[in-house]
Amino acid sequence: MKKFITPFVVLSVMVSACSKKDTTPNPTPADPNAFSVSVSGKIVSVKNLPADTIIGVSAGGQPYGAGKYAFFNFSTNSWVNNADSATANWDIAFSGTTIRVNNVTSGPGNGGAFVFNGTFDGLSSVPVDSVFKTDNHPVSYAIPKGSGKGWYNYDGATNLLTPVPGRVLVIRTASGKYAKVEILNYYRGGSTPSASASDAVKTSEQRYYTFRYTFQGNGTTSF
Amino acid sequence: MKKIITTVCLLVTVSQLFAQQDTLFSKELSEVVVTATRTERKLGNVAVPVSIISQQTIRQAGSQRLKDILGEQAGIFITNGFGAGLQMQGFNPDYTLILVDGEPVVGRTAGVLDLNRISAGNIKKIEIVKGPSSSLYGSEAMAGVVNIITDKSAASKLEASIRYGFGNPDKGFVLPFSSSAFQNTEATLQAATTIHKLGIRFFSNANFADLISIRPYSNDRIPQPVTRLSNQLQLTYPLTIKTNLTVSARMSDDNLKQAFAVSNNGAITNSYGNEINRDASLNAVIAHKVNARVSTSLRLYAIKYLGRQELHFVEKPDSVYLDEFRQRFFRAENQTDVNWKKSSLTFGAGYAIDEVNSTRYDDLKSRKQNNIFFGYAQQEWRPFSGLTVIAGLRYDNNKLFDGAISPKFAVNYKISPRFKINFSAGRGFKAPDFRQLFLNFTNTAAGGYSVFGTIDAQTIIAKLKTEGQISEVTDDYYKLSQLKPEFSTGLNLGGLYTPDDNTSIRLNFFRNDIENLIDSREVATRINGTQIFSYINVNKAWTEGGETEIAYRGIKNLQLSAGYQFLLTADKDERKAVREKTIYTRDENGFSRLLKLNEYSGLPNRSRHMANLKITWDNKKTFFTTRFIYRAPWAVGDADGNGLYNKQDEFAKGFLQVNVSGGTMFTNMLRMQAGVDNLFNYQDISNLPNLQGRMIYIGFYYNFIKP
Repeated sequence: MKKFITPFVVLSVMVSACSKKDTTPNPTPADPNAFSVSVSGKIVSVKNLPADTIIGVSAGGQPYGAGKYAFFNFSTNSWVNNADSATANWDIAFSGTTIRVNNVTSGPGNGGAFVFNGTFDGLSSVPVDSVFKTDNHPVSYAIPKGSGKGWYNYDGATNLLTPVPGRVLVIRTASGKYAKVEILNYYRGGSTPSASASDAVKTSEQRYYTFRYTFQGNGTTSF
Repeated sequence: MKKIITTVCLLVTVSQLFAQQDTLFSKELSEVVVTATRTERKLGNVAVPVSIISQQTIRQAGSQRLKDILGEQAGIFITNGFGAGLQMQGFNPDYTLILVDGEPVVGRTAGVLDLNRISAGNIKKIEIVKGPSSSLYGSEAMAGVVNIITDKSAASKLEASIRYGFGNPDKGFVLPFSSSAFQNTEATLQAATTIHKLGIRFFSNANFADLISIRPYSNDRIPQPVTRLSNQLQLTYPLTIKTNLTVSARMSDDNLKQAFAVSNNGAITNSYGNEINRDASLNAVIAHKVNARVSTSLRLYAIKYLGRQELHFVEKPDSVYLDEFRQRFFRAENQTDVNWKKSSLTFGAGYAIDEVNSTRYDDLKSRKQNNIFFGYAQQEWRPFSGLTVIAGLRYDNNKLFDGAISPKFAVNYKISPRFKINFSAGRGFKAPDFRQLFLNFTNTAAGGYSVFGTIDAQTIIAKLKTEGQISEVTDDYYKLSQLKPEFSTGLNLGGLYTPDDNTSIRLNFFRNDIENLIDSREVATRINGTQIFSYINVNKAWTEGGETEIAYRGIKNLQLSAGYQFLLTADKDERKAVREKTIYTRDENGFSRLLKLNEYSGLPNRSRHMANLKITWDNKKTFFTTRFIYRAPWAVGDADGNGLYNKQDEFAKGFLQVNVSGGTMFTNMLRMQAGVDNLFNYQDISNLPNLQGRMIYIGFYYNFIKP
């Protein structure tokens, strides 16, 4: 008899556990695909920053965007209006896989950048021997473009782009202060489509940056 | 009296039909194999790991193509992409030499020889030699050699068979011959006779199948009706008492109808057309026995292969995609064997011409050619009963690239009549293929990057340089002129133990160190920023593991066999980078962290564990067999973007496939067999596109000549 009761008890507990979970009212869920900025201590997380998202596919099969950049300001934690593109009001700009910093060929600021190999947390200050590079648009950029050359790998077989783990973008802002940036994902919602997803999904979901950064506003090199 | 005669006749028939049945274990060591040493040797005296697949095993499994039967062996995985390839000891399909009656089959696409091209219908046995065997066979024999030995028995025979299979992977059950059924029909005719002294054997097989292919990285199933024809004619004639002439001609012709819907960034292109894979070969062997000690043979071999794919586009009727690959291979060689009481010497030399014309290179009309001279010698010592020591060496001289020296050393020692151990060490190589030398490809759709073969890259880049088209060349550009064959050094240590007449246990440990692996690298950049790639020797890797096969026959009419392989692999530079803490992965939050060495999973597309189990009940008249084939997960995608494969990446699910079959003899002339392949309809569209769904089949075999 006892043998019979035990599974019954277990089962009823499972049922009640399930129903309890189901009836808990959900707090209004944040849209996982919406652009958002959230601050947690020194770390700021940015989700779904659209960087010249795809608006069409050329006759040759190449997807293209409108050719616009998404500008971002680290000191105000905000997405900057495109009208301010020629000002020192932005620190980093994204368009497809191109990342620009506010300097000579990109803007009037004092920007610069380089790619650091290591973890975000492990980079506690800008190394003394660091060399900040500047953009030479459209030939080369402080943060190099190309698969395996800078911050991402592109797999031609799956048509997927993945930020390389262990790469931190060290940025000198338009006003000469420092920030460290880790790019987490390149697709909407912060998750890379599966390799077997259709090309249509891979195309429409790309060029949405999810990244985190720490900005040092006092002008020192420590984060 | 009549009854007795009938019974005797029946018994004789049965024993003839099952003549290839596995010998008892006590006799297993005396089974003769040829591939291990290029001479006939008893398995018990062979010093390298050899597996034999018998005709009975092939028949009972209901195998149609070579892929079907090899896929059921432990330690062999059938890869997907460019047809069905063979992965052995963790090596890609490029590194296993595939022979039919000792001669190589040509026509590889991206290194893969499609195992669907070879019919299983007239195979007498398959010998699989593991470990580097280039000391006897030259290029490609890095992982080992698979030698398909066709049936050459002289007994008169006229057998016709028909087999019908059906299924539908999307539906639980379909009716045979119904419109929703995928069908697979096969007809075979085999004949053999001797007229005066001339032995004639003929084999013909036609297979019509509704195969399904699945475009990589999509879930679209594409019906791909295929017609496959295989014919073989073999003539043997004793010129004198001491001299034998064998001439055999073989051809196979596969015709696949294709219809693709290709999605390129959301734009769908529909195309239709067909693919042809056709080969024809002619092989003449004159074997002469000089005296009791010395025999010599002259082998002449020619094979021609045509692979052709033609696609028309629905949206662009005037444009045609044509991919054509024509290969011709000729070889003449002499081999001489000298036998003394306590030793034997085998030596030989030859010349081969390998020629290709292809649309994949600069021009279909332009002929690419490599000439190879080779010579080899192998000495075998038998200083006392039970011990065999072998030392061998081969040199291959190539016109187009560096030569290769392939040594081999092996020892076999019978500790007791029931226990032998063997050790072998050897070097294998694979010559750069024509693609790596001559590919000429520019992708105008994806930004205009180019891939040039090593030989052409130098001339093309030099020309572009003089035209001012090159902005920079990389360090790798200067390595192009020094392309070397890929090498591996392999060690195998194993043994065979037969504790009693009903049990046998085989065990083998292997380690392969591979160097000079050829991969594509960026060698130059054009002034417009587009990249030029070519092939250079870059990678180093290793594979190691253990394999075991256990067979048991202690219960009447019942045979059990089980196999298992454990495999570890690594790219040496990748592993070093992980050890030196320069490679990262992402944690559950997506944040970077260092990758640990034990998280590195080595080369992709390799399973750490593979196992199989086969249960056969056979009373010589009726049989049933069930085969379980298991493969553990394998890495398929670099999900975390760190450029190598680790635990956090995308893995294909491990799977179990079950095949069952049974058969019976109605009369001494009529045999029936039926079965179900992939009983539980296991499918993985993304990772196992070649694995068809459940298929139910039945076949009838009729022998017109009363034995």
